[in-house]
Amino acid sequence: MDFPIFHIDFIGNRLLIAVDAILHVLINHAFAVGALPVVALLEFFGMRSKDPRWDNLAYRLLKIIFILTTTVGALTGVGIWFSAALVNPAAIGSLIRVFFWGWFTEWIVFVCEVSLIMAYFLSWQTAKRSPESKLKHLRLGIFLAAFSWITMAIIVAILGFMMDPGSWLTERTLLSGVLNPMYFPQLALRTTLAMVMGGITMICLTYLYTRNDREFRTLVTSAISRWSGAWLVGLILASIWYYQVIPDHMLANIPVAFATQEYVRWNGRLKVLLIVGLIYVGRILWVSVKRPGQVHGAKYLLSAVLLFAMLGQFERVREFIRKPFIIGNYMYANGIRVEDYPLLQRDGILQHATYAGIREITADNQASAGREVFEQACTRCHTVNGVNSIRAQLKNMYGDKPWQSEAIAAYVENMHGARYFMPPFPGNKAELNALAVYLASLQKRAAAFNGVQINGIPKPDHISTSISYGNLPHLATPHGEHH
Amino acid sequence: MTAPIPRDIPLPLPAPEGFLEVLLVAAFLVHIIFVHLMLGGSLFSLVCQIKGLKTPDYEKLAYRIMQTVTVNKSLAVVMGVAPLLIINTLYAPQFYASSALIGDMWMAVIPMVTLAFLLAYLHKFWWHHFINIPELHIGIAALETGLFLFIPLIFMTNVNLMLFPEYWPEVKGFFSAMLLPNVLQRYLHFLSASILFTALFLVWWTGRKTFQQEAHFSESHIIISMRRFFYAFAFGATIFQILTGLIVLASLPAQGMSWHFIMLLILGGSSALPAIGWMWQNLTRSTHLIDDNFKQIIACFAFATLIMGIARHDYRENALADHKAAIVEKTANYMAAVKEAGEQAQQAAKTQERQASVPGESAFNQNCAACHHATLPTVGPALQEIKALYADNPSGIIAWTKAPGKKRPDSMTMPGFAQLSDAQLTAISHYILSH
Repeated sequence: MDFPIFHIDFIGNRLLIAVDAILHVLINHAFAVGALPVVALLEFFGMRSKDPRWDNLAYRLLKIIFILTTTVGALTGVGIWFSAALVNPAAIGSLIRVFFWGWFTEWIVFVCEVSLIMAYFLSWQTAKRSPESKLKHLRLGIFLAAFSWITMAIIVAILGFMMDPGSWLTERTLLSGVLNPMYFPQLALRTTLAMVMGGITMICLTYLYTRNDREFRTLVTSAISRWSGAWLVGLILASIWYYQVIPDHMLANIPVAFATQEYVRWNGRLKVLLIVGLIYVGRILWVSVKRPGQVHGAKYLLSAVLLFAMLGQFERVREFIRKPFIIGNYMYANGIRVEDYPLLQRDGILQHATYAGIREITADNQASAGREVFEQACTRCHTVNGVNSIRAQLKNMYGDKPWQSEAIAAYVENMHGARYFMPPFPGNKAELNALAVYLASLQKRAAAFNGVQINGIPKPDHISTSISYGNLPHLATPHGEHH
Repeated sequence: MTAPIPRDIPLPLPAPEGFLEVLLVAAFLVHIIFVHLMLGGSLFSLVCQIKGLKTPDYEKLAYRIMQTVTVNKSLAVVMGVAPLLIINTLYAPQFYASSALIGDMWMAVIPMVTLAFLLAYLHKFWWHHFINIPELHIGIAALETGLFLFIPLIFMTNVNLMLFPEYWPEVKGFFSAMLLPNVLQRYLHFLSASILFTALFLVWWTGRKTFQQEAHFSESHIIISMRRFFYAFAFGATIFQILTGLIVLASLPAQGMSWHFIMLLILGGSSALPAIGWMWQNLTRSTHLIDDNFKQIIACFAFATLIMGIARHDYRENALADHKAAIVEKTANYMAAVKEAGEQAQQAAKTQERQASVPGESAFNQNCAACHHATLPTVGPALQEIKALYADNPSGIIAWTKAPGKKRPDSMTMPGFAQLSDAQLTAISHYILSH
């Protein structure tokens, strides 16, 4: 809450990060972690059989991988930094302070990965001159596949750790993230899923590239199907492991009973999706090995879509455990630390928000002060008119009856009890009432809600320019200056 | 004009500040070298392509240069991650603020860079498809180069804006921040550095023994004139670099000025002077070759770049020194207030606990109060209404809560409360009826 507030009211801040992150994870899993081993495998088959078609196909697949990962893949990765820093700087700033060396290590592996993919791809043609250089080249491909997996393994440790409310507060080291009981089952599930996804995605691409050579298509799809089939067995085992460890561990961390029910429902959905998906993909791969060439391309495409859906649902369940926090038990999704609450609820959030334009609430400025409270406390997740719109929420609750600010205030004050995913209201009573007046006014008209990227920040006043805070005395130094 | 003083993130830095600063300067220099080679390469490839309309060998040269661009652009991105991470760590209150103030353009960096990279691949991999449609062929290159030219301006605007918190209240969106003093001057200085570095890189790159085999020029001695072409650009860019550098210095806001900083600039600037002398000789005297003193020239520029990188950081630290100190103090004050308020709240909670509470009250507040107000119909019906409905019938409330349904057409369906025990439900129902 102590940063100028960036806000996009149409697609919403959360969706901005989500779109970027989903794209990144899909490319990372299906075109890097899962696909690079397939390319190396095809290169190996080409060396063994002396049939140049394998090598040509491997090169063409790698070209697609190279183009996608070094443009959309790499940039959406950087985009997560950009969007998270705009949307919730307090959260990402805190995480960076704690996981700096984890991310730094990840960056070094990332540099190796990018250097390797360039070396692997750009030296492909020149490596053909002798069997020795070809063997060296294949080794590059295996290294590349390994590094691409290591980047994923590191980021899973960081992700798992920031979701785990227990150890974040006490230990704050990367090692305790890796030693977390949730780490290995999650990594196993993610790795096997990525391998199957990568295999099937490569089969889909192979279909495009072998339109004029049915016989070779049969050979390739059969080979990749075997590879993917083996990983599918691993995926089944990993799913079983995941279900034996994760739900209990997560349930132990959920404080609200309501959330427990909801979690069981979400996890159940993932389970159904996994079972249906695994049966379907397993059947396709089975047929593809037994009677290669007889499976229609569309079925591989459907398999890939199913696997993408599994990954999507897996990420949603993983994110679920977080709520209402953004960093378990340390910071709420609104960017306010749990520890800050007593102060803000006592003095009011507007007294302590450096970039707020209104400090005192009077009878005349209630709606505009309420807008400021909304900006500070709600806009990290809600928009006025766009995605997860507060207007739609209120309409859902009160319909076309007149929206009453008293009723809204009564709801907001207690909502975290009934809506486990909502943080408690962070301000004082006057701010609660002002917020309710603003929200009630939205029934009839809602002025455009813009962030600082359009409105700028208000002229600094005595609170924002003072080095003590709010109207309160200087506490940290003995010779207090009083305002 | 006064600066807003925000609070810092109240967590310790992951390493000593000085160490992170050294790492920042080093990582930034590596990143910026590749950015220069990417942008300069793209510019030179475009220029050579246009020259190639008359002299076909230059078109071949353009194709070769393009192959370096796609490698350098990948390195520019990966090498940019480390400085971004460190800037996020060291300058959180300033960098997040300036990023948010130009938020939409800052976020647009991601799709714009992606698009520029995809265009670069389209240009490189489909070079021979488009070669007979020069408008399209050059158009793609121009679009890609245009994006590469624009993106650094966004970065420049942001790193300039973060230095001057007192300007923040005046900024309304990207363009107003871009027009703040010094951004455009610094941008020109940056641009001439791109041309200088890339031109020198291309002089070396076209001078390799294998270059003729790679490029297949119709006559091999054309390489000599190509190298002179780049060398002339390098010399011109050096002069331009000094001039724009002086303009930047003259227009730098006073906040970050210090004699230490000026000494660094003089040291950096003067270390490039011998290189200018050698380059002038090599260009003008027939007794000298382009390759004469090449290593020394590179060493001069490398040293100058290092010193300028340090000076750049020095200015930033000077400009922000007061702001940073104020932030540290404000953060400490805030944390003290947080502690005090936390203790107060704990005391209050204890006192409240000691006062006997009505049975069912806390469970009601936690589970029901959000939707059921005492007198107003809110999400669900008001307590008045419930009391009238279930007067002397608490078990009716319990039965409904265990298996809720939808009674009122214009209200939401009540969720189930399986987590509440019978004892809790009984307490709640009595609380409602007696309230």
